[in-house]
Amino acid sequence: MLEISHIDVFYGDLQALWDISMTIDEGKIVTLVGSNGAGKSTLMHSVSGLIKHKTGSICFGGIRLDGMSAHQRVEQGVSTVPEGRRLFPQMTVLENLEVGASIRAARKVRFDTLNWIYELFPILRERKKQRAGTLSGGEQQMLAIGRVLMSQPRLLLIDEMSLGLSPLLVQEISRVLKDINKLRKLTILLVEQDVQLALSLADRGYIIENGRIVGEGDAKDLLCSEQVKDAYLGMGLAGKVDELE
Amino acid sequence: MNAVIQTVLIGIAIGALYALVALGFGLIMGVMKFVNIAHGSFIIIGGYVAYWLFTLLGIDPYLSIPAVMLVMFAMGLILYRLLFSPLLKYPRAEMRLDKSLLITFGVMWILDNTVTLLWTPDTRSIVTSYTGSTIDILGAKLGFTGLAGLILAFLVAVILHILITRTYFGKHVRAATQDSGAASLSGVNVQRTYLISCGIAAAVAGVAGVVIVSSYSITPSGGLNWLLTAMVVIVLAGEGNITYILPAGLILGLVQSISTLFVSSAYQEPIALIIFILVLMFKPKGLFASRG
Repeated sequence: MLEISHIDVFYGDLQALWDISMTIDEGKIVTLVGSNGAGKSTLMHSVSGLIKHKTGSICFGGIRLDGMSAHQRVEQGVSTVPEGRRLFPQMTVLENLEVGASIRAARKVRFDTLNWIYELFPILRERKKQRAGTLSGGEQQMLAIGRVLMSQPRLLLIDEMSLGLSPLLVQEISRVLKDINKLRKLTILLVEQDVQLALSLADRGYIIENGRIVGEGDAKDLLCSEQVKDAYLGMGLAGKVDELE
Repeated sequence: MNAVIQTVLIGIAIGALYALVALGFGLIMGVMKFVNIAHGSFIIIGGYVAYWLFTLLGIDPYLSIPAVMLVMFAMGLILYRLLFSPLLKYPRAEMRLDKSLLITFGVMWILDNTVTLLWTPDTRSIVTSYTGSTIDILGAKLGFTGLAGLILAFLVAVILHILITRTYFGKHVRAATQDSGAASLSGVNVQRTYLISCGIAAAVAGVAGVVIVSSYSITPSGGLNWLLTAMVVIVLAGEGNITYILPAGLILGLVQSISTLFVSSAYQEPIALIIFILVLMFKPKGLFASRG
C-alpha cells in the first residue's frame, strides 16, 4: 500500500536520512522504532509531506506522492497525528474535529464520522464546546486521533502516541487503535519511543538508527531479538545490574 | 447637552471608519503575521477606483462598492502571489514580519507614485447630490455620508466576524493562524487560505477607500495617515483579534472626538498616539485581553 524506496532527506546541507526503503501492506500496523534523533520523525514528515525528500520515491496505492504537498496527501488518504498532538488550542473541540474534515470527500460524510468518533471517545462529546487548549493530556490525544479520523484516512501516521500519557490512557488509546485497525481495515504506521508497546501493537517493525534502516521483521520476532532487547528494552542492562548486586 | 450628543455622534462615525480602515490590515497581520505597510495605499487606490467610476461612468460611489471590492480583491491576490507567498518559506513569524515590513514599504512607494502618475497629486473627492445633507438624531446632526460609513463599517465588521467564526473558510483561517503545519496535515490548503484572506483584506481596504473619498478626500500620499490609524486601532484591539477591531475603533474615535470638548481639535492626532503608547506600555496585548 505504501512503498518507500531509496529516499534521501536533507535539512539544508545536512543529510538526515540515507537510502530508506519501507513497505507497508494494507490493513497492517507497522511500527518504526529507534532512539532519539535517529530520524523517526523526519521519516514521518517525509511521508506526510511536511518535508520533501531529495531522491527516491514514495508511492501510495500506486500513486506517487513525491511532488504533493501535505494537504494533497491527505486527499489521497494519508493523514498524520503529529508529535505533540498540535491541536488548535484556541478552537473548540468540535471545531478541531471539523477542521479535520477539511478535504471535500471527508466534508460530505462529516456528521456520520463525527458520531462515530463520539462513540469511540465519549468524553469528546461532553467537551465539544470547550477550547482544545483546556483539555487534559489524555483528552488532547483522543482529540488528535479524532481529528485525524475525520479526514477518512486509509493510512494513519501516528508520531509518539504515548508521550506524556499515563499507562492507563496509553492502554485505552492502544485498544481503540487496534479496534479501528481491525474493524475499519485502517493501515497504521506508528512511531513510538516505547519500543515494547509499539512492537506488541504492531504486525511488523522497522528499526532506524542514525538515519538508516538497520533492521526489520515480524514484530513478535523483533520483540524477542537480542538486537532490540539490548538497545531499546534495557534488558541487557538490567541483567548487568543484577550481576552487580 | 446638544454639543455633547453631537460630539458623541461624530466620534462614533469617525470611530467606525477607523475600524473599517483597520479591518483589512488586522486580517493580514492576524492570519499571516505579515505587516502590510501598503495597506493605506490600498485604501487610497480603492478611493480612486470609485472616483474614476463616478467621474467617467457616473456610477454612485456607494453603488460602485462591489466593483471596487472586485478590483481590490484581484490586487490582493497579485500582492500575495508576487510578494507574500515567497515569505512563507521562513518558518518563524518574526522573520516574516521583518521581511514583509520592508517589502510592503517598497510596494507603498511604487503604488503611491503610480497613483500620482495616473491621477495627479491633486486632492480628489466625490461630490454627489446628497453630499453635505444631514440627518437629525436626538437633535444633533449627522452627515449622510458619515451615517453611510457607519453602516458600512458595522456591516463589514459583522460579515467578517461571521465569516471567521461560522464558516469552513473561517475555521481554515483560524487553524492556519494557530498552527499552519498542523492545518496542512489536517488537509487545509494553507496557501489558498492565505491567498483568499489577502484578497478579502484588500477588498475591505477598498470599501474604506470609497467611504473616505465620498465623505472626506484623498491624495496620492494620504495612505500613510490611514495606515497609522490602522496601527493604533490594531494595538488597541490586540494583535490578531478581528472581533475587537470595531469596538477598538469606536473607542479611539470617541476619545478623540470628546477631547475636542476640552482641548483644541489640533490635538486629536497626538491624543491618538498617546493612547497608542500608553496601551503598548500597560496593556500590550490590547484593551480587551484578559489578565495573564
